[in-house]
Formats: sequence, C-alpha cells, structure tokens
Amino acid sequence: MNLPTRAQPLTKTRSGTPLVAGRASIVSTIRGRWQAPVLTRVAQVMFVLAVVGMLVPAAIGSVLAVAVVGAVIAIPLLRVCWLVFRWWQERDTRFAVIGLALLAVVAFGAIMAMGS
Amino acid sequence: MELLQYALLAMSAAGLGAVGGLGGAVLLVPALVLLGMSPAEAAPLGLLSVAAGSISAAPSQLRDRSVNHRIGIVTELAAVTGAVAGATIAGALSPRILTYLLAGAAAAGAVLGLRRAPSAAFVDPAYGRADVGERVGRLAGAYPAPGGGVVPYEPRRLPTALGLMTIAGLVAGTAGTSGGFIKTPTETEVMGLPLRVATATTTFTVGITASAALLVAAIDGRLDLRDALAVVAGSLLGGQLGAGLQRALPDRSVRRLLALVLGAAAVVLVVRA
Repeated sequence: MNLPTRAQPLTKTRSGTPLVAGRASIVSTIRGRWQAPVLTRVAQVMFVLAVVGMLVPAAIGSVLAVAVVGAVIAIPLLRVCWLVFRWWQERDTRFAVIGLALLAVVAFGAIMAMGS
Repeated sequence: MELLQYALLAMSAAGLGAVGGLGGAVLLVPALVLLGMSPAEAAPLGLLSVAAGSISAAPSQLRDRSVNHRIGIVTELAAVTGAVAGATIAGALSPRILTYLLAGAAAAGAVLGLRRAPSAAFVDPAYGRADVGERVGRLAGAYPAPGGGVVPYEPRRLPTALGLMTIAGLVAGTAGTSGGFIKTPTETEVMGLPLRVATATTTFTVGITASAALLVAAIDGRLDLRDALAVVAGSLLGGQLGAGLQRALPDRSVRRLLALVLGAAAVVLVVRA
C-alpha cells in the first residue's frame, strides 16, 4: 500500500483559509472546534431521549428508540463524510480518497450482509 | 429493574472502553451473557454501546486535540476490510473457536500492554502551540501534553500495523466486538504512538466499526429497541466519564487498567467457553 509520507506544498485550503506552517510540515486546520460542541449537544439530546424512552409507554418508547439508534448509527459515518469533505478542502486528496474508500467498504459490507 | 441493570453495565463498559481505548463491547457482551441474555441478542447491544460511547467521548478528545483522524481512517480502512471478511467466514466457525480466538486476542493485548512503557510521549521544547494538530498529507502530528508542552509523534511500522488492524477487524467481524482491544496495543506498541493519541484515535475508529455492524443488525431486526435505550443512556454517560478519567489519569495507570481489564475479559471468555 503506497501511503503518503510527505507534506504537500500548500499554504491555503480550497476555501482560502491559510494553513498554519508548523514544524517540518503543514498543520491541518481541522481542530474540532465546530464538531465538539455539536457532538456534545447531540449526545445530550440522545441521552434525554433514551431516558424518556425508557420511562414512557412502549409505543412511544419504540419511536424514540428508532430515533436514538438511528442517530447512533449515523453519527460516526457522518463524521467520516465530514472529514472527507474537509480534507478535500485542504487539498489533501489522498486522505480524502482513503476516507471515501472506507465509506465504500462499509457500504459494500452492509449491502452484502443484507443480500445474505 | 432489568433496564436499569443494563444501563449501569453499559455505563461501566463504555467508561472503561473510553479510558483504555477498548470500545467496551468486549466487556459488555460477556456481562450480558452472564446475566442470561443470548450471545446473538447481546452482540448488537455491545456494538450499540461502543458507538454511543465513541460519540460521547468525542467532544473532550477533540478539544484535547488527541485524536489523529488521518491515522484513524487509514487503519480503519484495513480494519473494516478485515471485519467484512470476518463477518463472511463467521458462519463457518464454531462459537467455541470464536470465543477462544477472542480470549487469546484479549490476553495478548494485556501482555503487550504490560510489557514496556510507551516510547513516544516526550515533550519537545522546540514545538509550540502552533504545531499542535495533524499534518496535511501525512500521518504525523503533535498534541498538547496535560502537564504543559507539546508532544510530537510519527507512526512507524505501518505495513505491520495495517496487517494487525486487518486481524483486529477479522476478530471483530467474527466475534461481534469492535476490536478496540487489539487496535490500541497495536497503535502504542507497533506504531509507537503516545497512549493518549492511540486511545482517542481508537475510540473514534471503533465507533465507525460498530456503526457499520449495527446497520446490518438493525436491518436484520436483531436489536431489542427497549434494551437499546437503556444501553445508549448508560453508554453516553459512561463515555463522558471515561474520557474525563482518561485525561486525568497518568499514562502508566491507563496502561495498567487496560491490561487488567483485558486479562479479566480473557478469563471470563475462557470460563464461558
């Protein structure tokens, strides 16, 4: 597997944000400043929904359970989609392609399992 | 009462999973089986706990800048490929062989974790706050040490690590766990990553593995929704507590705790088999 080992000579992302010139290579602009508070809020909402779902009658609880389980499944995959998008913005094409390949393998596995 | 029990178990498993970068399913699934649940029902709940714990631990690990997403995605590509292959061959192996496989891997992880101290967690005075983060186009990075200063790192022995990650995925696919108990020791012992980076990166990647496997389990109707709510509630709380503990505990303590938990998991699995 031929993996990238050297920094790309870049100073700006596709959206024009300057990349910080760190020691020996370029530091990524992905800092989780946006992701961290969003994930905190999502986790809090999911926690409340899960606790309420345990206490209410089964019919309502099942609806809440579908929403909570759906969110638990979707969020990690959405994080990968977000990374692919940000790496593409940073012109880090090789890692964006690796991220896309990961999503493709996940999709392939799910389709194969559904077929069997 | 049963739901409360599941929630408490999930909280403990997710908490320990986040502290040690294990994922937690390797702890929760045997515990649920010991409580009388069938392994087929327990496995999706274990995966649910892993994914929820991963989401819950993410904010504090992102703020710490300890997750390396590039390393995570590259290693996860190998692991997910192994998991898909594992899920395909799982039907051909007996449950007893699968359990022994899982126990052997957990025991190996415990021994590897105790064997030597991590070599890469050194503060480099030449590095400043501007150097913290991942490197564009590379697998290297730097994170802020809890005691001050910046720790740079660069993974080594990538082909060996990718081979082990594929095995981790294979074990995950066959035994229904996230494989985090193999991934974290691989990242620290083989790739030479600082434990804090390895545990945070594994917590991120096991969420992806669990999410992919859960998708299949949910479509197959193998997930009890009422129990799922209890597991999600407990895991979200546990993941939060575990991430906080991971930040506060010294690396050496985390390694010992990780080895202890893995050793206990191996014994429980052998007894169950």
